[in-house]
Amino acid sequence: MKVPVFLFVDSMRRRFPSFRKLVLFLVIAIGMNPGLLRAQANSEKSPDPQTLQALLDRIDRLEARVRQLEAARAESPVATSPEPQRPAAPPAVVSPEPAQANPTPEHEAEPSEHAEAERMDLSKTLLRIRGFGDVTLHGDNQKGDTTSFSLGQLNLFVTSDISDKFKFLSEIVFEGGPDNLYGQPEGTRNLFTVDVERYLVQYSHNDYFNLSAGRYHTAIGYYNTAYHHSTWLQTTTGRPLLFEFEDRGGILPIHNVGVEAFGRIPSGRLGLHYVAEIGNGRSSRTPLEEEPVQNELDENNHKAVNFAIFARPSKIPGLQAGFSIYRDLLTPVAQPAVGETILAAHAVYSLTNFEWLNEALVIRHAPQGLGHIYQTPGFYSQISRRFGSYRPYFRYQYENASPHEPIFPDIALRAGPSAGVRFDASESVALKLQYDFIGLRNQPATQGLTLQLGFTF
Amino acid sequence: MICRTATVLLILAASALPLWAPQAREAPRPKQESLAIVVNQSNPINDLAFSELRAVFLGERRHWPNGRRITLVMMEPGQPERDAMLREVCKMGEPDLRRRLLQGLLTGEILVSPKTLATPVGVRKFVFNVPGAIGYLRPADVDGSVKVLRIDGHLPGDAEYQLWIPERAAP
Repeated sequence: MKVPVFLFVDSMRRRFPSFRKLVLFLVIAIGMNPGLLRAQANSEKSPDPQTLQALLDRIDRLEARVRQLEAARAESPVATSPEPQRPAAPPAVVSPEPAQANPTPEHEAEPSEHAEAERMDLSKTLLRIRGFGDVTLHGDNQKGDTTSFSLGQLNLFVTSDISDKFKFLSEIVFEGGPDNLYGQPEGTRNLFTVDVERYLVQYSHNDYFNLSAGRYHTAIGYYNTAYHHSTWLQTTTGRPLLFEFEDRGGILPIHNVGVEAFGRIPSGRLGLHYVAEIGNGRSSRTPLEEEPVQNELDENNHKAVNFAIFARPSKIPGLQAGFSIYRDLLTPVAQPAVGETILAAHAVYSLTNFEWLNEALVIRHAPQGLGHIYQTPGFYSQISRRFGSYRPYFRYQYENASPHEPIFPDIALRAGPSAGVRFDASESVALKLQYDFIGLRNQPATQGLTLQLGFTF
Repeated sequence: MICRTATVLLILAASALPLWAPQAREAPRPKQESLAIVVNQSNPINDLAFSELRAVFLGERRHWPNGRRITLVMMEPGQPERDAMLREVCKMGEPDLRRRLLQGLLTGEILVSPKTLATPVGVRKFVFNVPGAIGYLRPADVDGSVKVLRIDGHLPGDAEYQLWIPERAAP
């Protein structure tokens, strides 16, 4: 009914410029009509000034609406959908019933994300921030450890659409110290520090070619690029030992600074993808640096390269399998250079209610001139099943380095199971309870219990 | 011996009981109509495989073949069209979809989160205005301003079409 009244008012306004006066006149004339007056007297309903004022206000609003619509039409003649062409849908699509008049207001149209976005639009807020965090209570039987509450990484995940093709992405992480670089603590306890864990400008040409430059997570295996610095996204309370961050005693070059290209490979239902990376690689173990990631200066001219390929067959949703090869040259001071090769393979089956992650890798260190290669194998397997809000899980992990390993002799053997349960208290908050057993070579095994509250915001 | 035999017989009889029980009367299924997948008229795509459609709505495809970035248009949570999309195409619930989208943004696989609009008119106008947009509408909400895609070669209304939604209740 809105449209006829609106059109009537509009046409009257065009015919009579002083439409408001005409309405007043009509109201007064009707009011003075004896018959009507009699009828009003009979029905004891007198036209009070409030009703008149309400009518006038309504006319004012309608006139304002007409002006607004006329102005909008004059400004953007093609920005709105051509409503009158409604019956032009394909014959097979059109319902036999008459099209339902939609009661929604016209302002729903949002042409703001027009395709011509290659220029910077200063009127738009480009920056988006999501956050991840966790609070943990942990206790274990390791000598010197105390049962403590600890604040986990506070991760601010920042993205920005610079243009249609360019995007900025970063993870800014606040975390409590000290760092643990291959077993040696660095920094002060209970003091928060800031790490820019990822810092990328990404160019997306199409699905087959994308280019990123900056600091990224190396595409070794699956875990490292699936969860990044979000504890909440992970099923368990922490990463597998193999994929621990460098500043938490990890043995892999988790981060790298350089350039990476990635995308799909035309392969039909096989769903092949590739990742090719070149960067500074990690700093050598000796002498121990404060920062294992070479953010601004490489210790040598040799660049670390990594190539990964994986398949996501469309016939089996949730399955991903692939392998990667990483190559670098480490040049520790007063020691022979060490060639580093990391071969990794993974097979992951991840659905909403079921998850089975399997990864294995071997790190090969070949000191030049010594003629001996040190191999450090490792793997983990993790399985979980969701029952409503609960997700019990189990993980077994293993890594075994030689005591004479030139880069991380302190790692030795670490192997054992972890079991726990994750409870999703809400869509954004998860409570996890996990038991860990880690067997060590020539040392007593460690057992630990962790209660963690992970969240996103 | 007799007791054991009786127990086994009892178990067998109990297991056969459901076969004799009268079939539960199925609730009458609501009338269905198809859910049309719509894109901008300038999009060169006319036909999508169902698996590709799923990949698009899960953020696994980021660009159209012409290089244009895919912009997903979703209706607000709770709308029957969105529920049908989650159920039939994404095969997951609302929290799982949000988690997946967030993870996709974190990994960089998803360039932008889907645009969420409240009404079919809003969806239609957005798709009309944004060349890379893809959304879904009831047939009654489709007009000539957008292009309806074939899914696995079938148009909405075809018997083999895979996307269905309960008919809109009469006002």
